Amino acid sequence: MTDCGCEKAKAELEEYLHNELGKEDAADISQHIAGCDDCSNEAHVGEVLTHAVQRACKETAPEDLRSQVLLKIRQIQASH
Amino acid sequence: MTIVLERPVRPSSGWLTQPEVSLASMTTTPQDPMPEGVQPDEAQPDAGQPQADRVEDVRGLFEEQALPFMDQLYAAAMRMTRNPADASDLVQETFVKAFAAFGSFQQGTNLKAWLYRIQTNTFINTYRKKQRDPYQGTIDELEDWQLGGAESATSTSSRSAEAEAIDHLPDSAVKDALQSIPEDFRLAVYFADVEGFSYQEIADIMKTPVGTVMSRLHRGRRLLRDLLTDYARDRGVVSVQNSRSKK
Repeated sequence: MTDCGCEKAKAELEEYLHNELGKEDAADISQHIAGCDDCSNEAHVGEVLTHAVQRACKETAPEDLRSQVLLKIRQIQASH
Repeated sequence: MTIVLERPVRPSSGWLTQPEVSLASMTTTPQDPMPEGVQPDEAQPDAGQPQADRVEDVRGLFEEQALPFMDQLYAAAMRMTRNPADASDLVQETFVKAFAAFGSFQQGTNLKAWLYRIQTNTFINTYRKKQRDPYQGTIDELEDWQLGGAESATSTSSRSAEAEAIDHLPDSAVKDALQSIPEDFRLAVYFADVEGFSYQEIADIMKTPVGTVMSRLHRGRRLLRDLLTDYARDRGVVSVQNSRSKK
């Protein structure tokens, strides 16, 4: 059994997940994913991966960095 | 003009002033004190000390528009330099350069992408050179199998377990995995997945063709996924059956 839908969906999944596909291609893949467990799971792993990276990369700049930057900017301005 | 020409030419001294009056009355009728194109916004508040106020305005604008990106730039700097001290230095240098060049920034265009371009450039030109690890410049030329990113042969059921496992991993494990993949891959993943930049924007920031961005991003995510799945399996977070053969 061959499923051309799967082949296209898998090939373009990354671009699909990153909103890089044109409307029509994106709609084709959405439709395929909705009806295919395999591709839907694969897409889900991709989404979870993105969320995991987003979660892990959250940082708050140290307070003193903020004041240092403000100070530097004012110094540069004063020297003009 | 016609009015002037219709007037009889008078040899008296008065004729010189005559057309002047009529011309003057024609041209001054609108009584516009300021031609269009002069923005009162610009002219009025600066009336007192134009120079000083203008400079104050630029700084105010910069602080208002650019400084809110500090946390994000710092997070990116942490992924670039891998330590808080260098990350702080990099961010500070980025803001200093950005402020100096702020006059050339075109209002209305993507400020975040502009700041990231400056930071990435600064990182590549200064910090990367200082780092111990030699830059793996040929990484783009490696084949997928050399990176261990072979197509996974995981079954559908274990794939949903894989998603579950990745979802429950501690942030530290995700950070470690990110730090262990090649730098260009890591940055592409960061720019796309954390910042939501388009492939084209990433290409501009990393000064590389879109095709290279695509390849770095996809391979970076593949590596990351494999590392995280392995981690989850090793820690028994969720039993992930993975028949993938690794090099």
